[in-house]
Amino acid sequence: MKGLIRLELTRALRNRKFLFFSVLYPSILFLLIAGSADGTTKVDGTGLTLPTYMMVSMASFGALTAVLMGNSERIAKERESGWVRQLRLTTLPGRGYVIAKTASAAVVSLPSIVVIFVVAAVVKDVRLDAWQWLALTGAIWAGSLVFAALGVAIGYSATGDAVRPITMIVYFGLSLLGGLWMPTTTFPRWLQDIAAWVPTHAYAALGQAIEQSRAPHAKDLVVLAVSFALFTGGAAWLYRKDTLKA
Amino acid sequence: MTTTVVGFDQVTKSYGDVRAVDGLTLALHPGETVALLGPNGAGKSTTLDLLLGLKRPDSGTVGLFGTEPREAIVAGRVGAMLQSGGLMDEVTVAELVRLACDLHPRPYPVADVLARAGVTQIADRRVDKLSGGQAQRVRFALATAGDSDLIVLDEPTTGMDVTTRQAFWATMREQADQGRTVLFATHYLEEADAIADRVLVLHRGRLLADGTAAEIKAKAGARRISFDLPDGPVDEAALRTLPFLTTIDVSGRTVRLQSSDADATVHSLYGLGLYPRNLEVAGLGLEQAFVAITTAEEARTS
Repeated sequence: MKGLIRLELTRALRNRKFLFFSVLYPSILFLLIAGSADGTTKVDGTGLTLPTYMMVSMASFGALTAVLMGNSERIAKERESGWVRQLRLTTLPGRGYVIAKTASAAVVSLPSIVVIFVVAAVVKDVRLDAWQWLALTGAIWAGSLVFAALGVAIGYSATGDAVRPITMIVYFGLSLLGGLWMPTTTFPRWLQDIAAWVPTHAYAALGQAIEQSRAPHAKDLVVLAVSFALFTGGAAWLYRKDTLKA
Repeated sequence: MTTTVVGFDQVTKSYGDVRAVDGLTLALHPGETVALLGPNGAGKSTTLDLLLGLKRPDSGTVGLFGTEPREAIVAGRVGAMLQSGGLMDEVTVAELVRLACDLHPRPYPVADVLARAGVTQIADRRVDKLSGGQAQRVRFALATAGDSDLIVLDEPTTGMDVTTRQAFWATMREQADQGRTVLFATHYLEEADAIADRVLVLHRGRLLADGTAAEIKAKAGARRISFDLPDGPVDEAALRTLPFLTTIDVSGRTVRLQSSDADATVHSLYGLGLYPRNLEVAGLGLEQAFVAITTAEEARTS
């Protein structure tokens, strides 16, 4: 399986477009949104400055991009091309394919998180304690697994033609509703009520709790845990269905 | 130890109303080079999918080396090249072959695998930039990345030109000469004839014939004889006395016959005192050969 992980990673690192959108694009977006903000105005009800707040949002967004975009499309296309079948004729265990995809995405999502942190610290003077930086990195990185599972589920449910639009809708929907592009506090009340249950919102809230040096809300943890269970369960079910059909 | 390499016992697989494989029973033995011959839609690909454990039979059992197919694959005993086997994009040929070697429990050196499949020259090319024939050779490289006991190939020469095809079969023969069991699906009778020492004829999911290429050809190998009889009326009753005749069709002065021994039939034709013009003797196409075997089979079983 190591061989496949290595090869998946080689190919991800070779794909400039993918690297741009998952590693550089979130930082550019961060500078556009937080660039003109001063370091004192607080985002409503959070006690965090806009750059501090948006740093977590964009790190979450970058990780989301890395784990969701590449995998769903590749899996759908490779199911259709027959590469998945060819791999089933090797000693690779059934799960190996998905694990290799997830592992390679996780390797790309780590720099996308760290690059944002560096940009935020250097350009916008975001200052946190050492434990907070580490906890943020760990939480956002680990949390991205929820969406990696979603990417796998989409890849196993969509056809090669439909996978890109479906991924895009899910990706933009999750980013927007989860408040990754702008604080949900700017939303109208009814939309805020919906957003509160979106897994990306819980995901970003996890990071914000660390920035506020407080324990995360139990509701956010539950939303993430339930989403993770649903997405992995769905992915596993779709995977088994696909294997029987193949 | 004479184990069975591949064993099918009363295997049936349907898609909706279509019986792709219908009560198939067969056994392949070590060292055989076997052609699975049949027209499109005969159930060749489904048979190979069942054999490799990619599909499960509706009823009956499939065994590879006396175990479940998946077990044999995990043990690295099978190398397979599928017709529908896609390749990983955005990586080079060498990288992909290295992966196949990594995944095999008894791998060959990457350079050897590349050379044997004839893809050394395109080793640095990206997989998504290959021609159809080149992609086929890369698939072959993946199927022969390690020391497997059985090589399974589904229509391996699709997309290859004549020269590559010949080179490919030479490589294939090498594999067989090393004592491996080779099973390949094809719809070319000539390929089966040239390569295989055993031919299985599949038609509508059933095994119609199982024998050496020569036996199959004799069975299916009826020849078509056609000629005109311009002088006088055609005496159909006399023509029916010709030896080795399977079918006869007279329209006007043109006669079309099928014979299982064309030489003898034509010889007797002159013996009847007839002077055929525009005499043509031709082998049957595979499609017709199948019809010939099917008809014979149905006549036998009814």
